[in-house]
Amino acid sequence: MSYSNEEFRNRELDSLFAQYKSVVPDPEPGTGFMPELWRKIEARQGLILRMKKLTQVFVAAAAAICILFATVLSVPRSATPEARGNYVDVLAEAYPTETLAAHGIIPHEGMEARTK
Amino acid sequence: MLVEFEQIQKAQAGDGTAFNQVVVAYRKRILGTIARLIGRPEDVEDVAQEVFLRLYYSLDQLRTPEVFEPWLYRLTVNASYDYLRKQRRRNESRMSDLSEQQVMMADAVAGGKASNEEQRRKQVKELVESLLGAVSEQDRILLTLKEVEGLSLKELERIYSVNENALKVRLFRARQRVLSAFEAGKKNRTSRSSEERAAESEG
Repeated sequence: MSYSNEEFRNRELDSLFAQYKSVVPDPEPGTGFMPELWRKIEARQGLILRMKKLTQVFVAAAAAICILFATVLSVPRSATPEARGNYVDVLAEAYPTETLAAHGIIPHEGMEARTK
Repeated sequence: MLVEFEQIQKAQAGDGTAFNQVVVAYRKRILGTIARLIGRPEDVEDVAQEVFLRLYYSLDQLRTPEVFEPWLYRLTVNASYDYLRKQRRRNESRMSDLSEQQVMMADAVAGGKASNEEQRRKQVKELVESLLGAVSEQDRILLTLKEVEGLSLKELERIYSVNENALKVRLFRARQRVLSAFEAGKKNRTSRSSEERAAESEG
């Protein structure tokens, strides 16, 4: 592109841009412009209010759940059945020798010997 | 300023009548700017309403009267940009792919040969919109504000919150892209015409 050609194109473009503003003038707003704008503002306001309420409900629900958990966790541990002794003792207590002998898991002699 | 700062302060305080007055004072100017930024008359009111909606919900952040207009322009630019990004319709009409009819239109407009005023206006509109389609949405908006709306670099600086030199560079590049697209369209047409002439003389 030669310099003069570029200059010419630049001037052509300036002229086009200048004409464009007169070709697309400022449009007159329609009669429904303001009512529609206020309708949109109120609709968004309603949405914001709904979101606020939803947030409040969520926060209240979260707080209630927290209190519930805290209550459950703070109940004294003695209320729950506690395992005493080691694992073997607990098993022996849960499955007495008589029951095991009755099911044939251990021989009766063995049981008698144990009881003696 | 088209309104007193007191009016804006009242609107900030939640006075609906004051807000109405601000909108009425600026809506025609904003509608015009949006019309030239987006190039689709049917959607201009929607975008303008979005601008004033954003204004309504962000008015409380405004501190000084001097920044009201650049700030309103910034809202306009952002809403127009969001609209253009959604539309993406520019991809269909890049200047490099201009039809011969459009290039002839460019010649007619440049040479003042359009048959009548209405047709000439239509041609200018279509041509400029095709040319602006050759650049990104951001550059389209920047070029329109500078070249069509006639905003100064100082005003653009306040709207975009960037320094003047950065704006100059960006404007120069955008303009070069538009010029290249314009030139490419012209060259295509010239080469097609010479090919046609050669074919005719051979025939």
